[in-house]
Amino acid sequence: MVTKKEKRIGEKSPVLYFILPAIILVAVILIFPLLFALGISFFNWDLIDESARGFIGFSNFVNIFKDKSFWNALFLQLGFIFIAIPIETVIGFFVAMLLNREFKGVKVIRSLLLLPVFVLPVLSGLTWRLMLQPEYGAISFLLTKIGVSQTTWLAKPTTAYAAVIIQDIWRMWPFMFMFLYSGLINIPPSLIEAADLDGAGFWDKVFKIILPLLKPTFTTAILLRLIDALRIFSEVFVMTEGGPGNATTLLSLYIYKQAFRYFNIGYASAMGIILTIISLTIAIFLVRKNMMMESA
Amino acid sequence: MILVLLVSTFLFSQPYKGSTIKVLVWDDALTVAVESMIKQFENETGIKVVFERIPSGSILEKLALSVSGSKADYDLVSVDEPFVPQVGNLFMPYSAWPEGKIYSKIDLERDLIPGVAEGSFWNGEYRGLPINGNVYVWLTRKDIVNNEQYKKEFMQKYGYELDIPQTFDQLLDISEYLSTKGIYGFAPFTKNAEGATCEAIFMFESYGTNVLVQVGEHDFEVVLDKEKAVEALKMYKELCKFAPPGWEDMGHSERIAAFNQGKVFSMFQWPAIVPDHENKDQSVVAGKIYYGAPPAGPAKRAAIRGTWMLGIPNASKNKEAAAEFAYWWSSYEAGKELVKVGMTPARTDLLLDPKYVEQKPYFVGIFNSMRYSVSRPRIEKYAEVSDVIKVNWLAGVTGRVTPEVAIDNIIKGVNEVLEKYGY
Repeated sequence: MVTKKEKRIGEKSPVLYFILPAIILVAVILIFPLLFALGISFFNWDLIDESARGFIGFSNFVNIFKDKSFWNALFLQLGFIFIAIPIETVIGFFVAMLLNREFKGVKVIRSLLLLPVFVLPVLSGLTWRLMLQPEYGAISFLLTKIGVSQTTWLAKPTTAYAAVIIQDIWRMWPFMFMFLYSGLINIPPSLIEAADLDGAGFWDKVFKIILPLLKPTFTTAILLRLIDALRIFSEVFVMTEGGPGNATTLLSLYIYKQAFRYFNIGYASAMGIILTIISLTIAIFLVRKNMMMESA
Repeated sequence: MILVLLVSTFLFSQPYKGSTIKVLVWDDALTVAVESMIKQFENETGIKVVFERIPSGSILEKLALSVSGSKADYDLVSVDEPFVPQVGNLFMPYSAWPEGKIYSKIDLERDLIPGVAEGSFWNGEYRGLPINGNVYVWLTRKDIVNNEQYKKEFMQKYGYELDIPQTFDQLLDISEYLSTKGIYGFAPFTKNAEGATCEAIFMFESYGTNVLVQVGEHDFEVVLDKEKAVEALKMYKELCKFAPPGWEDMGHSERIAAFNQGKVFSMFQWPAIVPDHENKDQSVVAGKIYYGAPPAGPAKRAAIRGTWMLGIPNASKNKEAAAEFAYWWSSYEAGKELVKVGMTPARTDLLLDPKYVEQKPYFVGIFNSMRYSVSRPRIEKYAEVSDVIKVNWLAGVTGRVTPEVAIDNIIKGVNEVLEKYGY
């Protein structure tokens, strides 16, 4: 006869064994580096000069709050997120609505629309850089054809920042489309049909049926995009290298610069911790909201 | 018996048999060529070489992560000149390098082009062996300055002969004249990259000023003369008026394309890229280029130097084998083969060898340029100093701020970097 205690162990142990590899993996590749980064954020940690390393308490964090370049980079990063992601979401949603019907070739179209997501970020950045080249770039050529004067888009702070955002929108809106489309096809057609019978218009159906039902999908999609957008790097680096001036030096680029150009690893880690806290705050907010919606 | 003798001769001629060295180098045509010849070196010495090529922009990161005072994942590492102060102390002084058993130790003063060794000098020592003659070389279109019609018209308008520009004023005149012929006089480097700092220093030096000077052993002082620096920046802006469309954001690829398409009269280039301009499949101006030292400013001619050195980390456990490999790479024998595949040698005998000069006319230009070579600021925190110069120089050149404000910001910004690090 199996006692209650033995049964409990017998039931739980296999589960533990199954998830143990995953726990170890997460601990090694996520938890440890995070804790290590947290640790060295309290040190003056020069990557090359070992003799210069030493514990400095909260000095890195204090210096960060006094660092104008940090605030500029954070502002640019948040601006990038709050402009790019909503636009990607809106485009993704309406294209998903458009393609949520059957007609000849729709499967091919749906598949082809996903292509930009699979383009390597660095390749996307380089391509956009070339397309924006004023003399022989495709975009510049088309713009001059419609009367826009030849401009060096990546040499002006405003247009360079806009170009970085547009590049991201081009590459990532299909990601939102993919998510929202998968949400759309799960909405029971009977609900839409019932609304049609009740005489609901297009916007009534969008705002009163589709959007409320898609909320969890939106939350997940935005959360994943947000995480991705906070670590955007290579496409911006190859497009502008953070310039002109520091006009496109997003926080991720600034952290890279501090870590691997100036070798101020402690300072960069402290900024990384702040970026992680920002990410976590937004992520927790979105996840909690999602859970509340689900429980309601 | 003969076989035994042959085998034993082969074995005893490999004095390092069993040694393995790891070498970290930048990735370009030269290092590809070196890699292709490593087998020969391995057979001669018995040293197995693990040769790792990575993009030049990533070398410093890789170096920082893999070499320290107490450990070295590599036995030989290439370092770009401006970063020698930052990492120089990790490397064994060249004076302490062992003699080679097969290849002779290179005499930095005797064997190399004058000026090239300074790139590896830091803290009272040469920190490694300079491996290429990397310096600004000035490209000018010979076919344009030899055009009789142009010569005649130019003489009538400017009162002197159209020729290779010797000064910035002449370059400006020629650029202005050529703009009427649909040719751009000058291709700047204005991308937000290290090249922009090089351009700033090149102009400052030509106008008789520089950014930093070392005071005593560990201190630095900003010595940029505002008046001269503003003049230098204004001249650069003037030249940019005759640059191709998109000049406000020109990097190497844009400059190479514009020059190879025959649109540009004159510009600087790094030697490693010059073979592209002479490749008839890629360039309509191949064979039409004169290579020389840059035009002079009011103070002097200046050519930015950017030699790569090979350094042996202090913590390397294979110093002798690493040194032997560096000597082989720098030897006349290996150089003869490497030159054929695009190496710009640091050795005088190779650079001025008539048979190579005939095939590679830019070799003489490199030699002449090296006579006027100047370095970028020599300071451990070069990367930050460079960023300050680059950002503000470009802001001034592209008109986002006035030249005066740009120079003031450079002075202020570099002072802030010095203060931050306690200089």
